[in-house]
Amino acid sequence: MSEAIGAARQNEPVRSAGPLGGLGRFVAETAYLGLRAWRRFYRVPANPLSIVLYPLIQLFVFSQLFKDIVQLPGFGASSGSYLAYLAPGQITFTVFFAVSWSGGNLLYDYRSGMLDKLRATPVGRYAILAGELVPLFLECMIMAAAILVLSLLLGARIETGLPGAVGVLLLAGAFGVAWAGTSFVPALLTKNEQATGTLSILFFPIAFMSTAFVPVALMPDWLQVINAWNPITYVIEAMRALMVSGFEWDAIGRAVVAIAAVGLVLHSITLLAFRRLTD
Amino acid sequence: MLSESVRAAAGPAVVPATVEVDDLVKVYPGGTRAVDGITFRVAAGEFLGFLGPNGAGKTTTIRILATLLRATSGTARVASIDVARDPAAVRQRIGFATQTVTIDQMATGREHLALIGRLHRMGGRTLVTRVHELLDLMGLTDAADKLSGTYSGGMRRRLDLASALVHRPDVLFLDEPTEGLDPQSRLALWDELVRINRTGTTMFLTTHYMEEADRLCERVAIIDHGRIVVEGSPGGLKSTIGADTVTLRLVPQASATNGDAAGALAASQAEVRRRLGALAAVVSIEPTDDGVRLAVRDAGAHVPELLRTIDVDGVRVHGLAIAGPTLDDVFLHHTGRHIRAEEADQTIWTGW
Repeated sequence: MSEAIGAARQNEPVRSAGPLGGLGRFVAETAYLGLRAWRRFYRVPANPLSIVLYPLIQLFVFSQLFKDIVQLPGFGASSGSYLAYLAPGQITFTVFFAVSWSGGNLLYDYRSGMLDKLRATPVGRYAILAGELVPLFLECMIMAAAILVLSLLLGARIETGLPGAVGVLLLAGAFGVAWAGTSFVPALLTKNEQATGTLSILFFPIAFMSTAFVPVALMPDWLQVINAWNPITYVIEAMRALMVSGFEWDAIGRAVVAIAAVGLVLHSITLLAFRRLTD
Repeated sequence: MLSESVRAAAGPAVVPATVEVDDLVKVYPGGTRAVDGITFRVAAGEFLGFLGPNGAGKTTTIRILATLLRATSGTARVASIDVARDPAAVRQRIGFATQTVTIDQMATGREHLALIGRLHRMGGRTLVTRVHELLDLMGLTDAADKLSGTYSGGMRRRLDLASALVHRPDVLFLDEPTEGLDPQSRLALWDELVRINRTGTTMFLTTHYMEEADRLCERVAIIDHGRIVVEGSPGGLKSTIGADTVTLRLVPQASATNGDAAGALAASQAEVRRRLGALAAVVSIEPTDDGVRLAVRDAGAHVPELLRTIDVDGVRVHGLAIAGPTLDDVFLHHTGRHIRAEEADQTIWTGW
């Protein structure tokens, strides 16, 4: 290594923003940090194993438990395949699980000093946060895929075929990313892993109050009112449409709006909490 | 020697840069005044050390300079850029090694360096070459493709240091860089830091190891309770003390006090204090766990006289060590305390 002391910097552009604009940089940095976060996840063998096994066990148990639920009045004719009916609700539950443990990673980086190390580089502050969402997005998709595959093996049909299945996976991933705030905010505010886990589990009742298990017609009146405002119901209904009826664009549109709304609210709070932590 | 083309490919050269800090204050929300009006300069290419006990405000200062913390008042400029006004520009110019080793344990050494390089907007062959070069420099080539979580303590420190160097920073901030290292790894790291400094990089280091500051730094600022107590070259600071340290180890004379060892030691210490306190060359006397420590002017010439003076019944000298003034003595002189009590006890016993 030979460097003339005080030599003029010859290739200055290396340190400038380069050809990438602000958004391009954000995307690139998110990708680098996302790859790192994903590596950190899949290199622990228990992680990839559990995100495949967990949804399978869950779907199997619930499908046995609710085998005869379609006999109830109110399910209607469209629910010939109870597995296809059940799968979307199961997918949202696995998303809840993936989200509940996601905030802990941010805390680990905070405590280990990695967050400081990253912040001392020119990386955009929000790319650090966005990078953590990459593995969450992938985990949600993989878990949803595991449920779809098992459903198919057990005899379910996806009416919309492969494109619809991809749509279900994308909805699951997007919902996970939007919902991540329920884990990130407690993580950033409490700086405690256990508190993060327990606080994010507080959101579970919202899933139970959705149409994950029973159609809205079978719910008591007050629950029906709540359901009209429950974003999870819209996500489930869109997935369900893709599974059992077809590309119902108004249902899909409502799900996209619900995910965007949830994401906007939760991520705004997350950003504020992250600013507070890093200022 | 690297050819011109390789050097160009390996990224920008270091441009010497300064650090200017004026009346910096940091008050934490709880009301703790961690940094209480600090002013100092680091010249381009200089190696400056902040020496002080834990909690003195060293880490707070370095975190403000590394743009991780906002100052309550005052200004700090790194490479002539105000850290509060344009932190992003400062981050392009600095490297920062945190107090604890922060490496991505689930990444290989090579992956970790590549990630940090990418975040510093390096890429392509420039980055590959630089990562290769750093792994080689730090003796990590053989372990480059193993997960860094499997590395030894010394290897982790070296990888951590390498990650602060990927983009050839103009100013390197090191917060307690050898904390927790075994003596051998510490010596190796010191050599490495000196080498980095020789490439033109301005170095700012915090430490509570006086030997570290003494050995590495051209200039040392001693910091206590958020204020700079005194600053200067290690040699200059020590020469102002004007006294050597003489440490006496005493053997308690148990017969005198019916077997009470602690009481016997205290009696010996009192006797030594009474007798030596009368000598003009003895500046101060303080008890230690097993004897006394004296500050003595021109100690070498006065040792025979010291020993004659305490050659009485009830006092038996078991060992004697003479040490020139250390930065700890400087700290003691200015604050009345030791940087670390346990460190101040370290001397080489000559046996007596």
